Amino acid sequence: MSLAVAERPPATPSPALRPVISFHGVTKIYPNGSVALRDVNLAVHQSDFCFLVGASGAGKSTLVRLLIREESASTGRIFIDGHEITRMPHRKLPKLRRKFGIVFQDYKLLPTRTVAQNVAFALQVTRPGQRHLREKVEEVLWIVGLEDKLDKYPDELSGGEQQRVAIARALVHRPRIFIADEPTGNLDPDTSWGIVQLLLQINHRGTTVLMATHNREVVDLVRRRVIAIEDGRIIRDEAQGSYLREGEATI
Amino acid sequence: MRRVAAALWFAVHTAGQNFRRNLGVSLAGVFTMGLILFLVGGALLFTHSVNSVLQAQQAKASTIKIYLSDSASLASIANFQTRLQGDPRVLSVTFENKDQAAKEAAKDPDIQQALNALGSNPLPASLNLNVRQLTDLAQFDSVARNTPIVDKTTATDYNPDVIGKLHTVINVIQFVGGIIALILLVISIVIIMNTIRTAVYARRTEIEIMKLVGATDWFVRWPFILEGILGGVLAAVFSGGIVFLGYKLFVQAAERSLLSVPFDASYSFALLVLLVVGGICVGAFGSYLGVRRFLTV
Repeated sequence: MSLAVAERPPATPSPALRPVISFHGVTKIYPNGSVALRDVNLAVHQSDFCFLVGASGAGKSTLVRLLIREESASTGRIFIDGHEITRMPHRKLPKLRRKFGIVFQDYKLLPTRTVAQNVAFALQVTRPGQRHLREKVEEVLWIVGLEDKLDKYPDELSGGEQQRVAIARALVHRPRIFIADEPTGNLDPDTSWGIVQLLLQINHRGTTVLMATHNREVVDLVRRRVIAIEDGRIIRDEAQGSYLREGEATI
Repeated sequence: MRRVAAALWFAVHTAGQNFRRNLGVSLAGVFTMGLILFLVGGALLFTHSVNSVLQAQQAKASTIKIYLSDSASLASIANFQTRLQGDPRVLSVTFENKDQAAKEAAKDPDIQQALNALGSNPLPASLNLNVRQLTDLAQFDSVARNTPIVDKTTATDYNPDVIGKLHTVINVIQFVGGIIALILLVISIVIIMNTIRTAVYARRTEIEIMKLVGATDWFVRWPFILEGILGGVLAAVFSGGIVFLGYKLFVQAAERSLLSVPFDASYSFALLVLLVVGGICVGAFGSYLGVRRFLTV
């Protein structure tokens, strides 16, 4: 299903073939003049699992920020689920963001709330009055393997467990696309592997997963699609790639 | 309906929770707002008290007696009176004849003795004029001087010195009161905005998460605005109570020193309402501005 580099989409793509995420000639220049992305073309389909690799400052985080419209593209067009988000008005952004589940390197958990409250928070603020809130929270915490830590506070958990709570919070509203920005950046290899297994499991249920990472071992072990960014350009997009190109010493 | 109720409950619950969890910052905000509302309320009440005392003086001062010559005919006096009554600057004109003038003057025992000694009544009849504005008195004085039926030696009882001074005092007090209120207003807006911004900054992760999972801007704002309103009301009630108490003590103290400052209950109530409304507006608006910069993404 994955395309190496996106072609221009057909005039009326059928929903099944239509990419979930597509970038068409996207360039991002920050106000200070630094060019973060240059003419990026990309298509990601439903149920894809993609690694986004590249050195710090290569443009991975900018790509993520453009996806959730935390930043706007300078030129080019970005489509999510067939809807152009590049010129989307501010008031429509909440609805766009509900299509995503996002986790970061630093978890971003609320320290004054319990595990269950942290997860429930995501539903309370997007779908007030949600029925069966407790059941939904317990179910998603069971998926991430924390069903016995419902009433713990974040500082009572290990780093890996905290990241699982963040994943549960990002999953509870059943997003179409799951974005993990350096999710294993603060974790030891064993714990990292556990997190990646969890992301693969989420992907197996049909959710598109995009994982930006520096973790070479993980990328080489999983053997999924790899999109390599360097200096704001996509330099490589392989269906079953590795962290480095064959024979490449550094990235 | 269920969603609206749940959203409302979330906003109220979060506002209360945030207020309690960050009690230090919340109380600092309430204290600052309360202090400023206290100063504004105190300044307004003080200006009002001074003004009401001065206005009582002004009411006395805004009358002028135009003395008429003894030879003036009743017809010409009536004519002059009608002319004055037609003037829009004039509130009322009353005619006081020589006997009435003597009776009025005889209230002072010294003058009574002098009148008795004289045997005749040297006091002139007069037209007593009540004007709307103190500043118009000078013009009526000159009008009187140019009217033939007016006593040439003492035309009026107009005393520009006293009136001018009183007028200056009123102007200065109103001007200084206005300046003080303006300065307090600017200071309060700056301080309150910064206090609320500190409170909002302490919760930036929460706001960031709300935005990330797709909460709408208003959903993020409401708890903060409610919290601002809660702080504003608390500040207004406390400062209003202190101002009211201070006002009461001030009026009592003034009575003991024989200075009559009227206790204005309806003004006090209006002031309390004004402080509460002001507290709500400043709290809500300050929160709105404080959250705004965190909602731009």
